[in-house]
Amino acid sequence: MQSEPDEGERPEKLIDRLAAKLRHQALLDSLLIFSPPVGAAIYIIAVLFGAAWLGQIPMLVSAALVMVLGCFAVVLRYRPAAPSVSAAAQLLDRQAAAKDHFLTLATVKPADWPASFLSRLRRETSGFSHRVELKRDFPYRLKSSAYWSFGLSLLAAILISFLLPLTASVARPGVLQDRLRALGQEMALKPGLKKVGKDLLALAAKLDEPKIPREEKQAQAQELKKEIEEQQKKEEQKDNRDLLSQAASALEGVEQQQAVGQERKDEQKGGGGIQSDVRQQGQGKSEQSQGGSGDSKGDSSAQLSTELQQGKTAQGNPKEPGSEKNQQQGDAKQDNQPDPSRSGKEQNKEQMGKTEGGSKDGAGKEKSSEEPPPQGVSPAERFYKGGEGKEGIKNARYVTVQLPEEIAAEGKGESRATKESKGSRARTQVPVSNVPLPAHVPNAPSEKQQVPIEYRGVIR
Amino acid sequence: MEPEQFREIFKRLQTEVQKVIVGHDDLIRKVLVAFFAGGHVLLEGVPGLGKTLLVKSLSRALGMSFKRIQFTPDLMPSDIVGTEVLTDTSGRREFQFKQGPIFAHVVLADEINRATPKTQSAVLEAMEEKQVTVFGESHILASPFIVLATQNPIELEGTYPLPEAQLDRFFFKLLVAPPAPAELREILKRTTGIESGDATKVLPDDDSGTVNEMKYLLRQVMIAPPIEDYVVRLVHATQAEAQNGGPVQTSVKQYIRFGSSPRGAQSIILGAKGNALAEGRVHVSYEDVEKVIFPALRHRLILNFQAEAENISADQVLADVIKKVPRN
Repeated sequence: MQSEPDEGERPEKLIDRLAAKLRHQALLDSLLIFSPPVGAAIYIIAVLFGAAWLGQIPMLVSAALVMVLGCFAVVLRYRPAAPSVSAAAQLLDRQAAAKDHFLTLATVKPADWPASFLSRLRRETSGFSHRVELKRDFPYRLKSSAYWSFGLSLLAAILISFLLPLTASVARPGVLQDRLRALGQEMALKPGLKKVGKDLLALAAKLDEPKIPREEKQAQAQELKKEIEEQQKKEEQKDNRDLLSQAASALEGVEQQQAVGQERKDEQKGGGGIQSDVRQQGQGKSEQSQGGSGDSKGDSSAQLSTELQQGKTAQGNPKEPGSEKNQQQGDAKQDNQPDPSRSGKEQNKEQMGKTEGGSKDGAGKEKSSEEPPPQGVSPAERFYKGGEGKEGIKNARYVTVQLPEEIAAEGKGESRATKESKGSRARTQVPVSNVPLPAHVPNAPSEKQQVPIEYRGVIR
Repeated sequence: MEPEQFREIFKRLQTEVQKVIVGHDDLIRKVLVAFFAGGHVLLEGVPGLGKTLLVKSLSRALGMSFKRIQFTPDLMPSDIVGTEVLTDTSGRREFQFKQGPIFAHVVLADEINRATPKTQSAVLEAMEEKQVTVFGESHILASPFIVLATQNPIELEGTYPLPEAQLDRFFFKLLVAPPAPAELREILKRTTGIESGDATKVLPDDDSGTVNEMKYLLRQVMIAPPIEDYVVRLVHATQAEAQNGGPVQTSVKQYIRFGSSPRGAQSIILGAKGNALAEGRVHVSYEDVEKVIFPALRHRLILNFQAEAENISADQVLADVIKKVPRN
């Protein structure tokens, strides 16, 4: 009988080494598959924290949660993938064409079998061991799933980096203010940071105010940021420094938000999109109404567009639903009311002129050349305010109805005189159309007027 | 005894039988494996394929006593196991047990399915218990003891198919295939000339000690637990009940009425051990298991009517089972 092989040559060791190697490979695989998503998730959390979408504690909690989940996933994938000793032995058998020598040696209980058989098996298996070289026969190969994981995670991180600044001001604009408020309150409690805290609170309040222009908000945020940075340099306490750096990052977010808002506003001015169209249309119609057409739609749309310019949406103030609309309707009604302070003759004269202006473009243009349209003032200011002048409406408006036959005549290209005569005839035929609207009653219920269909989508 | 000795004797026995039997190398090997595993073999094949010659040659090579029983419908159990006869010994008349042909090391039960079930059952006890009981008295059979039964798959008129219980007692069921043209040429050469080969003895006469040592050695062959598990899964997969919601879905449910008994698993493992030892190994491999699955299980699967109608054999079902049951 041959002597037992040395400890170093024992095939059991080879099996154990291979099992360990394969386990390491399985662990590495799991890590390579799950590390990129975990890294990407942590990066996204950091980005969200930097953009002040997440507070410090939620950030820490979510980062910890992501890491725990990542570890859990690694373990879940590793456990079934890690080969057992018998699986490693089978791999060796296959590699060395050993007819289950390694498997038997690795799995049988030595006590159950004759020692002579075991030693013979070990001897035979040692002979097969020389056919196997772990480095050569079982090299580590990166799995395609690892590549996919890395690529997709990278893509996700890049997408977030690009998309987050764009969505920061749109999706959750109130978060920055809340964060500023929280920081301001915290700073207000600290003796050295009281002033900065108050400033932050004031800025947060200002940010909530829609009437204040973006430029002003941005300028104030920049100013405060500079102030904070200066104080940060001077500050000796670590806690205070941390608070100041958080405030600075939040202010940076505010600046980004305001900048993005400004960009969007510029885009609107540039003429793209539905809001821009509305504004232009409104302006056009308001000019026409000033020219004497007396179209109430023009006024209301012009007012609406002005509000849109100011950064409000059509549903901007949810606390006052429909108030704007009612106001516009009221204004429109006022437009159509005659000025009670004027004499009946003057009023008639004006009425004649405006009726003509409304029916003919040329007349309207003449009127508009006499009275240039108010520039830089909101349509509401076209009315006298209390104590400003005569009580009532500056320019009374009338509804001009163009009858179907008039439209048909225009289409046929009939002369102005014919049209005038036909128009006057038509007007006499339908006398109610040009009757001035009833005088404005202060507390009367507003007229129910539907919003023109072309603006409904915008307002919604 | 050392495994090398076993291998040498096994090889010599195989060679001696091959001197007489042309072809059928695998058949001879499996008969020898069954012999050393302590099992009995059912040989199935049409007449004239050398079944009887095989058994005769084997017994001669082994140097063991050999008896042949031609099973016929009028064969009585006493014709097999023996009976008490009244004898006159020195003026005294007394009953003396006269041993039947079952009292031999190698028994050839030729066309076993032609005997009545009563006679078949007499062989049953002998095969399993290695003893016979006559007039209430048990008589131990010779050791080693092997029954090599033959049956003809055709000419089924006037036959009594073996009951499942008796079939289960056979270690292997081996199918004797007709010879290939080259083998047939060799058979003609050997049998139609002047010289006729004959098997020579490998072991001395009645050397049951060596055979028993070899049988003991076979049982010492190591088998890895994963391979044992594989055998268990294979045998379990042949049972129709295992198919209900089991992990491996095979054609068993469709064609099998009853699956293998635990004796099937025992046969597989012992047969695999014999095979390993014959190849000079002291451990069983998956290949050894797969080599003996068919002879160990084919007669233990009871096919249903659908299988018979569709002409599906047990081997076809087993092939599906082997294909679908994973090694790990």
